[in-house]
Amino acid sequence: MNYKYIIIGGSAGSFQAVTSILASLPKNFKIPIFLCLHRLKHVRSGFVEALSIKSKLPIVEPIDKEHIRQGVVYLAPANYHMYFELGNYISLSTEEPVNHSRPSIDLSFVSAAYTFKDKLIGVVLSGANKDGAKGLKALKSANGLAIVQDPAECQVKTMTTAAIDETPVDHIFTTKEIIDFILNLEQ
Amino acid sequence: MAVSQPDIDRLIDAYLSVSTYNFKDYSIKSFMRRIEKLMMDNKLDVEGLINKITTDAIFVEQSVKDITVNTTELFRDPKIWHAIRYRILEKLKDQRRINIWHAGSSTGQEVYSMMILLNEMGLLDKTNIFASDINTDVIDTAKKGEYIYRFNLDYLDNFNQVVRQNPYNFDEFKEVPYSKYFEIDKAKDIIKLNSFLRKKPVYFKHDLVNDGNIFNTKFDLILCRNVLIYFNYELQNNVFDLFHESLFRKGTLVLGVHESILGTKALKFNKKGLYYTKK
Repeated sequence: MNYKYIIIGGSAGSFQAVTSILASLPKNFKIPIFLCLHRLKHVRSGFVEALSIKSKLPIVEPIDKEHIRQGVVYLAPANYHMYFELGNYISLSTEEPVNHSRPSIDLSFVSAAYTFKDKLIGVVLSGANKDGAKGLKALKSANGLAIVQDPAECQVKTMTTAAIDETPVDHIFTTKEIIDFILNLEQ
Repeated sequence: MAVSQPDIDRLIDAYLSVSTYNFKDYSIKSFMRRIEKLMMDNKLDVEGLINKITTDAIFVEQSVKDITVNTTELFRDPKIWHAIRYRILEKLKDQRRINIWHAGSSTGQEVYSMMILLNEMGLLDKTNIFASDINTDVIDTAKKGEYIYRFNLDYLDNFNQVVRQNPYNFDEFKEVPYSKYFEIDKAKDIIKLNSFLRKKPVYFKHDLVNDGNIFNTKFDLILCRNVLIYFNYELQNNVFDLFHESLFRKGTLVLGVHESILGTKALKFNKKGLYYTKK
């Protein structure tokens, strides 16, 4: 299968997995990655910098209607929902939080599933609420590939178990297995 | 409840057949999301929704209010307010008059934020403040100047950062009491802005898609934050033209912190960090 986009959702306890994944990707990794991560309300700035420390790929908070480029990691900006439009660009929204979350993982995953269909890989990581479960289901129905971090490895299991309950996922992987899987895509 | 692109096209046509509301150039993803929410809240499917739009004029008005997004905060994104205070208003302070337009002012928190800064700088009396929105319900809320307290504790935090602290000198701290600008009633769970602020702005119903400059004046400063994200690229460009012709020479345009002028319209403005000035 020829996957062209990766979207990753995470909340409490996902920071370590996200940084490990980013740290393992080589400079010439082409597939654009979208990160939809809940953050503490007061940690509005400095998050890009924290994620960038070990990443060889540029990490950007996109502006509205920004074109999606290869080799870039896009982080949903704090206090915005992130959507994906036909024509290969990103749009943002400030509509109400969903499940107390803005960015909402569900909204981003549903939008990505609609736009990228079977070209999309979705990964749900550790988290403390059920955001992401509906999104991963939509992604699976649109023939995307659904991966969930092994709940046994998660600091907080609520999000990953909710995703697994909702959808027959393709893979339940440890962080290390997620990394190996992503690295093998490029070859 | 998933809506397809052909469904969306039919819904847009339904609105156009009974009103001037034109969603053709709205950003598709958020429009779809709002339509799905509208269907869920009203327990209607696509056919039911189209039927209701074409037969119920009151529903048309109400649903347009539900489709447009109205989230806002007092001093949302403190760093832009620092720029407004120390860069933009600083340059305007010696003018005889200052004209400001809040385009897409929603429930008014941004308008009040601006007036608080103007008052702190002693500029409020010589400023004309125009505020506009497509949705008359949010204009009514703005005029009332009353917001829920409990869910909006960020307002106080933002106020402290923008009004009390000096970002260029953290040793400086101004004891500006909240009561100078608003009353907090915890029992009623409300924050209410003081009446000298509520009386000041002039509000207009204005649709950025269809309406031009209806204010009979040009502006020194236009704010339009997190409004154009709901429009597609073409419509954004039309609105940038409107703002350009509505600004005085060297006038300033402030967009949301994750918005930008993309494409050729950028040539008509100078980008200055977080904001634009008319060339």
